[in-house]
Amino acid sequence: MQQNVKNLFDLRRYRWSELFLLILPASFILLGLIQLQYIAGHNNNKIPEQINVNNLPAVDVFAPQLLLIIALVAAHVAISWLAPNADRTLLPIVGMLSGMGVLMATRLGPTPQIDPANLGIKQLVWVIIGIGFCLGTLFATRSLRWLRLYKYTWAAAGIFLVGISVVNAARHINFDSPTHDQLYISAIGFAFQPSELLKICLVIFFAGYLAENREMLTMDGKRFGPFYIPPLKHLSPLVAMLLISLLLFVVLRELGVALLIFGIFISMIYLASGRLSYVWYSLGGFAGGALIAYNLFSYVRDRVSVVGNAFAPGVANDKGYQVVQGLIALGSGGILGQGFGLGHPNFVPAVQTDFVAAAIGEEFGLAGLFAILGIFILLIYRSFRIAIRATDSFEQLLAGGIGSIFAIQTLVILAGNLKILPLTGIPLPFITYGGSSVIANFIMVGLLLRLSQPKDATV
Amino acid sequence: MNLTFEETLLILRVVSVVVLYLFILQVVLVARRDLRVATVQAQTQAQRAVLGHLVVVDSGSAPLAPGAQLDIVSPTNMGRAPINTIVLESTVVSMEHARIYYRNNSLWVEDLGSRNGTFLNDQQLEANKPVAVRPRDILRVGDVRFRLVP
Repeated sequence: MQQNVKNLFDLRRYRWSELFLLILPASFILLGLIQLQYIAGHNNNKIPEQINVNNLPAVDVFAPQLLLIIALVAAHVAISWLAPNADRTLLPIVGMLSGMGVLMATRLGPTPQIDPANLGIKQLVWVIIGIGFCLGTLFATRSLRWLRLYKYTWAAAGIFLVGISVVNAARHINFDSPTHDQLYISAIGFAFQPSELLKICLVIFFAGYLAENREMLTMDGKRFGPFYIPPLKHLSPLVAMLLISLLLFVVLRELGVALLIFGIFISMIYLASGRLSYVWYSLGGFAGGALIAYNLFSYVRDRVSVVGNAFAPGVANDKGYQVVQGLIALGSGGILGQGFGLGHPNFVPAVQTDFVAAAIGEEFGLAGLFAILGIFILLIYRSFRIAIRATDSFEQLLAGGIGSIFAIQTLVILAGNLKILPLTGIPLPFITYGGSSVIANFIMVGLLLRLSQPKDATV
Repeated sequence: MNLTFEETLLILRVVSVVVLYLFILQVVLVARRDLRVATVQAQTQAQRAVLGHLVVVDSGSAPLAPGAQLDIVSPTNMGRAPINTIVLESTVVSMEHARIYYRNNSLWVEDLGSRNGTFLNDQQLEANKPVAVRPRDILRVGDVRFRLVP
């Protein structure tokens, strides 16, 4: 620790590049706020028709949203102290994405002006709490040993959290409605979505278990044609864990999360073993599970059929309404977009949670949506790069698993919005409005930062 | 220069999108510099910190030539996984088998919980218990035997 304090004042080794990279996210947030204020002022006839250097409008940009910039800079200083050699691009990337999230929530809030009841303020509070959790994770995992030692405890804790919400759900069960209200644990006026924490617990468990049993997976076992017969005995805790979490989410009818968990499982077992056979087995299992879900739940059938005929008469204004409105919003954006604050994304139901990508596409256009995708690709690239540089299997699998979570979530929800896959309620990381997912994502960023900090040479 | 409301908004809008792309460009540049620094560091470390050598006495089923000299750096990880410093392609060597490292003016060897054990002068090491080694010790990793030389 003392060494770290010394490094903080060593100007040559200071994380200048991180601070430098934070300039553009900060200017993006400022630009967005100026645009919103400007449009609001114009609507109230406070802005002159002709603008020149002499009558620049008094745009009140000292909005609470500026706290986000301060929080990012504070996080930068704290990281310089806690993990001075950690990855320098993660914080700016995440800052840009959550800045976009706060701006979108501000814009989509019932009133686009500065107002405490606005969604933007709530999202801002979540992001700041999330940054706190990120730094807390960074501090608590100075030694990663305990993460790996208590892997079964993590698994049990995750299942327990979701179990509570299953009990909640069982009280008012209705197997065909796709509402997610019962997915929250409420405590002290604060609703939390346990599935977000479960995914972190699962990644730690999978990483710990697979790191220990990596050899079993890669040993030359019996073969059947091109397929290896998996060592089922050694895989059973893993498969049991997978099935329990899948079952919980089938009971809760949150099949998007089940899809995400299956995706994490497939990518991590492939990362650990390097064998495609496991991927084929898992995909076979997935196909079976998907068939069962399709036959069992009518809302799954609805969502799948919307992909095929969203624009059919009788569907477009009923079950496919949300998807169709999302596509129209995207289409009306064109290449450069309608302009931030000038579109009508509120025509899409639940736009701030399910369809935030459509809102970005409408207001920033194809160019803006591609830029956001590019930033997600950078985030995923950095995660896998941290995995490549890690020095042992556990850290490697953990970083790879976290990278896969970001990748799968982004893919599944974007494909849902574009009517390529059935729509699911998976949040777009850092951008979708919602506290639980923002906090969980920031915890994962804290883990990545810790994994990217090289170990001291003396250990 | 006079600008209308629409023109101002158009400028702000284009600038916002440009800022997004500039940011991607910046991150890519920093990431590229990172890659270069990492390569240089890896090279200088490899040159600097050779603490001794392992001479292959018996290569077992690993594709090593008996008599070959391998460098010891700190830490040197040995095992079957490609991530190791010394990769031993043998079925009786574990993915992460053993590690040699430098601490308190001495070299230490530690078994990482391997399946078939690590032996120092024919004595099996306890898993995760580091033992100090001296030159001319015989180290057996799975079925591969090495002699330590300075």
